[in-house]
Amino acid sequence: MQLPSSFFGWVGFLLDKYGSLFLQGTGMTLLISLTGTIIGFLIGLLVAILRTIPVTRRMSTPVKGLKHVLNVLLSIYIEVFRGTPMIVQAMVIYYGAMQAGIIGRGTPIPMVAIFIVSINTGAYMAEIIRGGIISVDKGQKEAAHAIGMSHWQSMVGVVLPQAVRNIMPSIGNEFVVNIKDSSVLNVIAVSELFFMSKSAAGTYLRYFEVFTITAVIYLVLTFTVTRLLRLVERKMDGSNTYTICGSQSDSQSVITVTETNAEEG
Amino acid sequence: MPMNEPILEISHLMKRFGDHVVLSDISFTVGQGDVTCIIGASGSGKSTLLRCVNFLEEPSGGQILFHGKDAETQWKRAEYHAKIGMVFQSFNLFNNMTALENCVYGQVRVLHRDRKTATENAMRYLNKVGMDPYRNARPAQLSGGQKQRVAIARALAMEPEVLLFDEPTSALDPEMVGEVLGVMRDLANGGLTMLIVTHEMSFARDVCSRVIFMDQGLIAEEGTPQEMFTSPKQARTREFLSRVLAR
Repeated sequence: MQLPSSFFGWVGFLLDKYGSLFLQGTGMTLLISLTGTIIGFLIGLLVAILRTIPVTRRMSTPVKGLKHVLNVLLSIYIEVFRGTPMIVQAMVIYYGAMQAGIIGRGTPIPMVAIFIVSINTGAYMAEIIRGGIISVDKGQKEAAHAIGMSHWQSMVGVVLPQAVRNIMPSIGNEFVVNIKDSSVLNVIAVSELFFMSKSAAGTYLRYFEVFTITAVIYLVLTFTVTRLLRLVERKMDGSNTYTICGSQSDSQSVITVTETNAEEG
Repeated sequence: MPMNEPILEISHLMKRFGDHVVLSDISFTVGQGDVTCIIGASGSGKSTLLRCVNFLEEPSGGQILFHGKDAETQWKRAEYHAKIGMVFQSFNLFNNMTALENCVYGQVRVLHRDRKTATENAMRYLNKVGMDPYRNARPAQLSGGQKQRVAIARALAMEPEVLLFDEPTSALDPEMVGEVLGVMRDLANGGLTMLIVTHEMSFARDVCSRVIFMDQGLIAEEGTPQEMFTSPKQARTREFLSRVLAR
């Protein structure tokens, strides 16, 4: 068989031969990073809501104690998972769970991968969401309480929608980081893009060509995701027009007002 | 002064932040339909008093009775809040909702009204404050005076028995003060029980049924507007009034 001699020759050859491998790897990377980011986001929301429950005089002492213990546990979770590399977490969790018999030969590796990315992301998200909650002025929460809403109701209905909008750029960052950093999961043999690339490079020992392709795929993924998230942000901002319904002279009139000083999107 | 049926009875209310005593010993009663204005210099504890009345600040001592029952132990907090409305200096509208949704949300969540009833109700109160044409606008698209009128409609939509106002016009441009005071005047004429912290002395004089003057965490003097503005007994009251009325 005639092997290619130029860089582009090799790229074409490898794509032809290992195209499906790259595709599978890309699919797995997307699956892990997307699911991991979403679950991590949900973990972050829950942690942030729990950590912001106010302690009041009406709370009984055991409830206060429980709340304190919960706060300490959540802080430990955040510190541990932000303070150690994901590659190390992957090793500890995977082999730990293996030794403890929680997972075995039959456990699908992608599930383990998603679990690791999720709890890692959750720790970061908890802090990002806490920042988002702080960014919403506390007057709105007071107003919610003043009409009788509970902590949960005011969080879900008023504070979090605005907090989440404010932290969308950071959430996007986390997603991009997860797309790239899920590559470290190759240490536990998750068949994501980096792992697949290594297999593809091994046969002909064309590391440069293979990983150039891999780099381009990562770049296309992250660039697309960034653009898509910008669209989501625009969507969340809603329209910059509103209608005034009815005027003094004509109760049926509808006037549409467009903000001229709308923020550049 | 004839006393109406008491709704809120505040006795020996105290609030301190650390060592700093903001309210030392506050007692007064609010009767059905009373429009009570609380006046006093900045830092005299007026806003803290209002915030303690609806537990946005936890009182450090004392008791608040609402319809004769202890507000802290005998009322469910959500129920109490729904019956005691509050209008804030900085409006505090929910920025993620339109004017209409602002007035609907609490009714649905707290009073468990169905959305249709809540919307009709909200529209009635938006209409009352003259903001129904702007029902689809979001807070960012409204002026200060408009925001405050929506905030009043939001509070009214819960059909509270008492409405607290915490300096409702202090954050407004002068030309917008009138529209908000106009709405409050209508509410007072309609018989709503109101407790108002304000710096608007002419409003206190013309609209309130009773004026409380606070100084250094205590009620220094209280009486009808007539008594307070024409013949205040205390030197402190005279001094304060001459200072603010001279402006």
